[in-house]
Amino acid sequence: MPVVSIDAARLNALMDNPYTPERLGDALEQIGCDVEEVIELARFRCPNCAQMIEGSLGSETNACGVCGHTQEAEFEEVDRITAIRLDLLAARPDLFDIGGLARALRGYLGEVRGLPQYTTAPSGWAMHIDPAMAEHRRPYIRCAVVHMPPLDDVQLATIMKMQENLHWGVGRDRKLASIGVYDLDTLTGPIRYTSIDPVATTFEPLGCPGTAMNGKQILEDHPKGPAYAGLLEGCARYPALIDANDQILSMPPVINSESTKVKVGTAKLFVDVTGPSEAAVANSLRMLVSSLIELGGTAYSVAVSDGTTTTLTPELTPKTCMVSLSKARTWLGLPLDAESLTDCFERMRLDVTPLDDDEFDITYPAFRSDIRHMVDLLEDLAIGFGYENIVPALIPTMTVGKPRAEEVVSGQARQALLGLGFAEVMSLPMTTEADHFDKLRLPVPDRYVRVANPKLKALTVVRSHLMGGVMNALAANKRRPMPVQLFELDNCVSLDDSGLNGVREERRLCIAVMGPDAGYAQVRSMLDAVLRELDIEAKVFPAKHESFVPGRVAGFSAGDVEGRLGEIHPEALIAFGLDQPVALLEMRLRTLAWD
Amino acid sequence: MSDQPLVLDQTTATVWRALRDGPLSVKALVEATGFDQSQVMVVAQATPAYVALDAQARQELDPADELAAILAEGVPERRAAELVVAAGGEMGMADFVAATKAAGIAMKEVFRYGGQRGWLNRTKGDRGPVIRVDDAAAAALKTPAADEQALQQVLNGTTFADELVDVDVAAALKLLKGRTSLVKIRPRTRRVLTLTAAGVEALATATVKIQRSQLTQEDLRTGAWQNIELKPYDITLPAATLHPAKSHPVRKVIEQTRNAFLELGFEEVASPAVESAFWNFDALFQPQDHPARDMQDTFYMSDPATAPLPDDAIVKAVQAAHTDGGDTGSTGWGYKWTPERALATVLRTHATASTIRALARNPDPPYKAFCVGWTHRNETLSYKHLPVFHQVDGIVIDEHASLATLLGTLSAFYKKMGFKKVRFKPAFYPYTEPSVDVMVYMESRGKWIEMGGSGIFRPEVTEPLGCKHPVIAWGLGVERLAMLRLGFNDIRELYQGGLDIVEGVPLCR
Repeated sequence: MPVVSIDAARLNALMDNPYTPERLGDALEQIGCDVEEVIELARFRCPNCAQMIEGSLGSETNACGVCGHTQEAEFEEVDRITAIRLDLLAARPDLFDIGGLARALRGYLGEVRGLPQYTTAPSGWAMHIDPAMAEHRRPYIRCAVVHMPPLDDVQLATIMKMQENLHWGVGRDRKLASIGVYDLDTLTGPIRYTSIDPVATTFEPLGCPGTAMNGKQILEDHPKGPAYAGLLEGCARYPALIDANDQILSMPPVINSESTKVKVGTAKLFVDVTGPSEAAVANSLRMLVSSLIELGGTAYSVAVSDGTTTTLTPELTPKTCMVSLSKARTWLGLPLDAESLTDCFERMRLDVTPLDDDEFDITYPAFRSDIRHMVDLLEDLAIGFGYENIVPALIPTMTVGKPRAEEVVSGQARQALLGLGFAEVMSLPMTTEADHFDKLRLPVPDRYVRVANPKLKALTVVRSHLMGGVMNALAANKRRPMPVQLFELDNCVSLDDSGLNGVREERRLCIAVMGPDAGYAQVRSMLDAVLRELDIEAKVFPAKHESFVPGRVAGFSAGDVEGRLGEIHPEALIAFGLDQPVALLEMRLRTLAWD
Repeated sequence: MSDQPLVLDQTTATVWRALRDGPLSVKALVEATGFDQSQVMVVAQATPAYVALDAQARQELDPADELAAILAEGVPERRAAELVVAAGGEMGMADFVAATKAAGIAMKEVFRYGGQRGWLNRTKGDRGPVIRVDDAAAAALKTPAADEQALQQVLNGTTFADELVDVDVAAALKLLKGRTSLVKIRPRTRRVLTLTAAGVEALATATVKIQRSQLTQEDLRTGAWQNIELKPYDITLPAATLHPAKSHPVRKVIEQTRNAFLELGFEEVASPAVESAFWNFDALFQPQDHPARDMQDTFYMSDPATAPLPDDAIVKAVQAAHTDGGDTGSTGWGYKWTPERALATVLRTHATASTIRALARNPDPPYKAFCVGWTHRNETLSYKHLPVFHQVDGIVIDEHASLATLLGTLSAFYKKMGFKKVRFKPAFYPYTEPSVDVMVYMESRGKWIEMGGSGIFRPEVTEPLGCKHPVIAWGLGVERLAMLRLGFNDIRELYQGGLDIVEGVPLCR
């Protein structure tokens, strides 16, 4: 999850009262932010694109995350700030940036109450969607114009970061939505959302002044190109925003043009969001514009037209959802009344309109895309109440505890084996064909419980027995004084068409002795001891198994319990890197039953 | 002296008894008792009232290597004197010198010792000096002199002068003094132990304590232990290091967790590790395009590749919840839900897959269930991540289930897990509303640690499964807790199999 560093001083500047960074951090935790730490942080300037960037964890840096520039020498340090570092919460993109955080904090700390008011007068700017874009993979677009106080370095960096985080949190790394921000004064309206030929059309992409590139070259050669090339793979034409002077603004979702870029001093912004998900596109724009307003901006709408209908965007009209006081009282278990409910919601920057004694209409900002049920607002209510103010209570209802049958029998076997001086080991239930079959001299079966897509390529096997893990554990202990005695008790999975989900799950037990005197007789004693303690009488019979020395292996069974024991074949010992004899027992203790 | 009978240790008693018949030298005691000299000396010096130690000067006679040969043919002055006797009792000096030389007799000793003994007399004759053996000397030569007798006994094994028998010891020592070609005389001290009269009397009434390092079964059965003194130990010495056979640290946390839940009245539940996407994701209101469902994050199965969906009624209700909220009062996610994506099999990504199945089986309150199990994420191995790890999940379906009772239940649970201080903060999880993060205070690290997520299941989760009551739910990562307890920083250490790691961690931790 991305981490953002919030400059405590700048956050304070957006508040009515001053707070210590620690107080701000605490309050952010109480509204649900994941506060990592409050630290001193150095900031640097990229000599290529002149962007302010943060050093990673306060150290020096020589790489720019904005334009991709890297150099040998460290960048020049600009200043140091006290930063509150937050793990971003994917569910709450409205809390990604300093504007959104200030909005929430001012309510929580009692500086303002109720709904933030966002209005958008028409900007007079228009966006025409090429009708052919309806067939394109990224057909949707929303736009806005925002007037800001002339941007300084820091605000510029803030907006870049905001854009980057929304790309992650709402746009799913630009897959669903991609944001572009431009200097309005470099544009001539109206603007078109259309497509360009990947080869024939060229423009100067951001970060490459004086170098005209076509779309294909950008995807291949531009520092930002290859990362997003996949999003346009297979597209005959690439999306583009073009103004009335045929100036290309950007080639979403990859790169803006150099000529329209936002600089220090820019005061008027043109913002667009494009993508394949209308909801993500609309949400991204709402988040960005609302936060820019919190940073001192004034938003204006853009008339977006697809030839048949014209929509004014951004759509910042608040929404409402009904909340029942009695439901809130039972769901949260809190002593709420109409007054405290209203108070808590207003702290959370929501408006409350009573409908009757029990029902209240809660008005919430359009950017709160996380609200789809009354319970989402009950969460806001609880946070407004303050988790620290909740008195924990026990459930008075009496119930009786009940363990699973396989755990009961495992506990008995464990007690017996620990008493016999065997240590319990655990190994991972996902393994490789080599460890599970080959090294044990077992043929790899045509079918086994197999994983399709492991990142660790060889990790395809879900174990059906415990021998591989125990042999590896023996190998890890081969330099200890002999004998080494250990066991493993855990679940294994086998294919079984008659079982739930096409598998059968079993609690299995593996016992091993390694050392100069390790032999069949020893594990046979262990088998007898464990079965005796479990009151199981098993029949032991001669068996064949490739992992064991021929003639020194036996099978046994008693109802659901079955298994084998013997002396491990020298080839298997050597395959696992062992140099001492091993006697081993592996068995099914119980087939798991599903209720 | 006390009137109480003495209690003697076994060594003392043995030495005293050996002395009962008369004084003995230390050497003799060593031979008689089989103890070594230091043991005997400890007894000798312990109680002067009972045992007197007397030191006597004595001479040790150390024979020269050639002594036997010399004695066999006679000391030089004897041989020379016998030459003179054979020549009629008198020889001229020149003849005598020539004769002794011819016989290989050392002249130097002949004159020195022959004169001293009075065997050879040098006188002036008519034709110059003569050597004479007079009648008295000739008679004396017939028997061995005192020193010769002594030397013979030394050759036969006598070491000390005071041990010589039937010899004029004083005369012999006078003759042998300084004559190292025959014998070296060394001064020695002879220590003699005597049991005093008081000692004899005490010994008669004393009891003997037997000293041993270990009692035998026989000692205990016969009562002999009463007279056996167990030697005291040096308890400052270290003992051998032993380790009990122990469970794996992760198993220990799991068992502690299970016990906590069972004691709190929870039923333990389980479900297959190979799970349908339906139960792993869809039933938990995770939209089908959610990033967690990507191939990047989730292990999908190639065999078995699909699993059947549950009852149609449940599937339809879940589908409706995703699409437009159905009857749950939710807007839903607003997308087209397809059964095909729900059929896919995955390795379950959370233990909630088990508790949600339990909820579907038992939708009516009161019901408390928990599950401990392996869960899976498509990760590579790193110090932070394993592709497989354990989670513990719990749910409570109850009329009283609420945010306040969630916090109460979690407090009770974490206190049972050994954390004295618990606090809560808001969080955002996809299938709970509200969501809560649990923080516990870790005394050993002096800081608050995030321990697990929790919340109240969204109605979009519970209602399609037929559950109309609030359900509180929470999950906990087991490995994380085990690592915190053990002080590990690398999660891989947990599953490397080495027993050293387990041995190094006390059971109580």
